[in-house]
Amino acid sequence: MTNESLTRDVPPNRALIEERLVVWYFLASIAYLFISMLGGFLMAFQLIRHNPFNGIELLSPGRWRMIHTNAIAYGFLANAFLGNLHWIVPRLTLRPVFSRTLSYLIFAAWQLVVLSTAGGILMGEAQGLEWGETPVWIDPVAQLGLGLVAVNFMAPILKIKGPMYVTLWYFLAAFVWTFLTYAMGNFVPQYFVCGTSAGAVGGLFIHDLVGLFVTPLGWGSMYFFVPILLRKPIWSHGMSMVGFWGLAFFYPLQGIHHFLYTPIPMFLQYGAIVSTIAVEMVVLTVIVNFFGTLKGSSRALATNLPIRWFFTGMVFYAITCAQCALQTTLTFQALIHFSDWVVGHAHLVMFGVFGQWLLGVMTYLFPRLLKTEWASPKLCEWHFWLSSVGLFTMALDLTLAGLFQGWSWAALQPWDASVEISQPFWIVRIFAGIAMFAGQVLFCVNLWKTWQQSPLNKASLKSEALPA
Amino acid sequence: MQSNTPRSDWRFTVILAFTILLPCLYGFGGKFIEFIHIFRGNTDGMFAVTPIVNYLLASLGFFCMLAWATMRGMFHDIEAPKNTFLETEEWLDHRETETAR
Repeated sequence: MTNESLTRDVPPNRALIEERLVVWYFLASIAYLFISMLGGFLMAFQLIRHNPFNGIELLSPGRWRMIHTNAIAYGFLANAFLGNLHWIVPRLTLRPVFSRTLSYLIFAAWQLVVLSTAGGILMGEAQGLEWGETPVWIDPVAQLGLGLVAVNFMAPILKIKGPMYVTLWYFLAAFVWTFLTYAMGNFVPQYFVCGTSAGAVGGLFIHDLVGLFVTPLGWGSMYFFVPILLRKPIWSHGMSMVGFWGLAFFYPLQGIHHFLYTPIPMFLQYGAIVSTIAVEMVVLTVIVNFFGTLKGSSRALATNLPIRWFFTGMVFYAITCAQCALQTTLTFQALIHFSDWVVGHAHLVMFGVFGQWLLGVMTYLFPRLLKTEWASPKLCEWHFWLSSVGLFTMALDLTLAGLFQGWSWAALQPWDASVEISQPFWIVRIFAGIAMFAGQVLFCVNLWKTWQQSPLNKASLKSEALPA
Repeated sequence: MQSNTPRSDWRFTVILAFTILLPCLYGFGGKFIEFIHIFRGNTDGMFAVTPIVNYLLASLGFFCMLAWATMRGMFHDIEAPKNTFLETEEWLDHRETETAR
């Protein structure tokens, strides 16, 4: 398209992107991150036998643990990704979303879903499936919401003629996958299958939620923002497409690697292991592409904070992939299953990779959205370092804890012995969590100061001061 | 902007594609053959129908999408979108700056 035809055909930026909604989604995302972290703290204090709310059913750590995981998936990540989508899709397609009214409706409905889920879990109405604890009466609303999200964003994407950028491929697939994955996890084990079969579906669900909801939206966002931040195209678009189709065809095969040594037939377990190793190669396409793009621009790591967030996330990604390759083998699984290794791995993926990327996106986008620079670049740096060092410490600490627990069980020590040897690790985990939490507090302080100096705030104050 | 990917990058991409494809085909092929054996003789493994049928349906959908994309010429100049996307971004930013003035 020439510049003339672009000027003629593309609506003005204000009509193209609903920037206010992007800000709202990001703020909601940060609020849920705080709620999730508070839930994590409560569970962490319970483990070191210092639960401040002992005996209060509504604040029992078992329930808050579910709030912790659900608030991260459906509160922090989902809201941040929806904000991202409202920024990226119109800019890539040069068309606004299907309906602005629908966008606001989805925003309100999604917050209702997440808050109702939290309320339901606290009241003890959770479904018995990890990450699918959403109470049964919320499931149809959430399912409808996911359908509307797909309609709202797929409408502009499907109007594109000619080759599509990899980000849009990932987003298209994510809309379909998330809808199907949610239905599979929340309806199939609840109403249609039971026993080992439900276990197999549960394995598919929990892993597909990471691989078919979080991963494509995360990878798509990464492929959008990194070239913009570095002002150069990605290293190989062809390789990114190999990654996309690899994820599409092979990711759904590997869910059963969560159920090694179970009554599920061994041919399914072996198939999942081989597929997992193959998917490691798919992830490698993303890592190679990132570092290939960064090659020659490594100075940006010192000068460009959003890129540093992406870089750190990518380093953590490489570590998680190395962990995956180990933990998917039967030998290693025998050692680390049910141990804190898995908890460390989950934190490394959710906060270390996708959380870091999303915080990098927010660091880049908030000044653009609020039309002013960050009030304190120093606080931005503190946010980065506290989050990154805190997360790395926590992941390393829990990984080591997992190995010690595994060895303790393998030596047929009593269960209590493994709890005792875990205490120092669990104490370190709390300090790492405090560092991460402090980082987010500083981020919010900085955001508030930035909003105070924003022309948008000044304009709203002026309009309020005007006589009617 | 013309795509300027060196031949060595292409070779690397193709090698990586096969490295992914072959073990996955082996993994799924093994699963599927065992599944047929179980389906014929041993009813205990019948529950494997759910995950495998799920997978087959999803893959069929993506196979159709791949065929549709190929027919629409989306892979003719596979490196082009990475350049056009950046040009459009630059244009959008430029327009935003102009409007702000």
